[in-house]
Amino acid sequence: MNAIEIQSLRKIYDTNVEALKGIDLIIPQGSFFGLLGPNGAGKTTTIGILTGLVNKTSGTAKILNHDIISDYKNARRSIGLSPQEINLDVFFTIKKILEFQAGYFGVPSNIAIKKVDEVLKKLGIYDKKDNTARHLSGGMKRRVQIAKALVHDPPILILDEPTAGVDIELRHMLWDYLTDLNKEGKTILLTTHYIEEAEKLCNEIAIINNGEIIKQGDTKSIIKEVSLNMIEIELNDASKINLTNKIDYKINGNILKIQSKGVNKDIVKIIEEVEKTTEIKNINIINSSLEDAFIKLTN
Amino acid sequence: MSIEFLTFLRREIHRFLVLYKQTIIPALISSLLYIIVFGTTLGTRISAINGITYINYIVPGLAMMSVINQAYQNSASSIMQGKYLKFIEDILVAPLSGFEISLGYIIGGAFRGLICGLGILIICLFMTDLQIQKITLTIFYLLTVSWTFSAFGVIVGIYAKSWDEIGTFTNFVFMPLTFLGGVFYSVDMLPPLWRNISYINPIYWMISGLRYSTLGLEENANLISLFICFGFSCLFTIIATWMFKTGYKIKS
Repeated sequence: MNAIEIQSLRKIYDTNVEALKGIDLIIPQGSFFGLLGPNGAGKTTTIGILTGLVNKTSGTAKILNHDIISDYKNARRSIGLSPQEINLDVFFTIKKILEFQAGYFGVPSNIAIKKVDEVLKKLGIYDKKDNTARHLSGGMKRRVQIAKALVHDPPILILDEPTAGVDIELRHMLWDYLTDLNKEGKTILLTTHYIEEAEKLCNEIAIINNGEIIKQGDTKSIIKEVSLNMIEIELNDASKINLTNKIDYKINGNILKIQSKGVNKDIVKIIEEVEKTTEIKNINIINSSLEDAFIKLTN
Repeated sequence: MSIEFLTFLRREIHRFLVLYKQTIIPALISSLLYIIVFGTTLGTRISAINGITYINYIVPGLAMMSVINQAYQNSASSIMQGKYLKFIEDILVAPLSGFEISLGYIIGGAFRGLICGLGILIICLFMTDLQIQKITLTIFYLLTVSWTFSAFGVIVGIYAKSWDEIGTFTNFVFMPLTFLGGVFYSVDMLPPLWRNISYINPIYWMISGLRYSTLGLEENANLISLFICFGFSCLFTIIATWMFKTGYKIKS
């Protein structure tokens, strides 16, 4: 059984903007899945439809085999959502907010009280439990936001840019915590603008652009498949260089830059070719990242 | 009833109880001032209406005025705050049906209205020589009117784009309809044309019903009052439920 199954999901807003153009997406149980895309690509719309905040135009979506419309109660019970924008109730203390949140998902109050303490301790904000959201810093609010997603112990976490606007220390703390949760068996769907974050955390990704999934699969395979590595060769005298037409290269000062899809295969051939004309002082191979792949795919 | 629904209901009631200095006390104080100013001072110079002393005559209207405002304000502002700060999403993503969500907001507001209405009547039991004639019917009127305006508050809360729109209904609809509904006078005192116009004001029938249950004074058919209170509470509940069920003006 998959954690999330989306088929031909389409959303046209009242403004006639087609935010999703019939996307298909399968997120296996236990995966750490990254949904990446530029602003306005359709990430938040997808999450909104899955969680019941946005009405779909057509298509189907299932959460642990529960249809989001016909079996919405069971579908929603399986999800913990941390939305992109901070949305904390200003009337109550953090502890009370989380107790209510657990109750909204059917957790009895005696269990909710224990669970709230546990989550607050794990996220390092237990000492703030009697404060209201007004008295918390941005980073603290973000932790409470994540605590809200966790407090009813759902099997699936949907985190919409959970580390937006948080400092490096907290970001790393959250990364470690989310990795642990994933190891414990929770499926995590993450959207982020920090490509480094997705590369570090996600074992599978989908790249969405203009309402269409343009790439989906294993993170490392996508990087390998899409990206080109860069070979930088520092030369003694670049003016003498004369490579065959088959090699696409650029010269910047005495640095020769060559883009290559298969570095291991090409490097010997390139070195032999270059050494025919001039002496090589240094060779540097720059491995491309998910960010390069993302930029390439989303143009 | 599910834990989900009961938690939401607890949240709605807890919200206004925590803020009792803003939600309960001012309503009681303003009604108390009306009783002092219009009842005990000016009222002594006004002759009895249909055999009832003026101070007792205005009590049901004052209670109803408070019930209407408090019930409406509660649900409308709870939804507006939730929309404004986006924490309404916590409810929208929870496994709650449209009916449960609307019911949670409505009962929260209705409870606040009921507390204020009963509070005013209890204060009046000590300040005036009021004796409530039909307690069950009195609670029925307070509850159905609270329910009606709380449900109406849900509808406006969902529909409104700004706080001004919520205030508009209080100032330009409820206030005139309440004052013209005979809070401070009997519509029998009006010329025939204005008396007939008063009869199409539903708030007149609500006040009239409560006046009958508390004072035993049947100025007009009590059955019509019962029907109007019950009918409007059902109608507005259905509309509010439909709005949450379809996501009208809440979900994109």
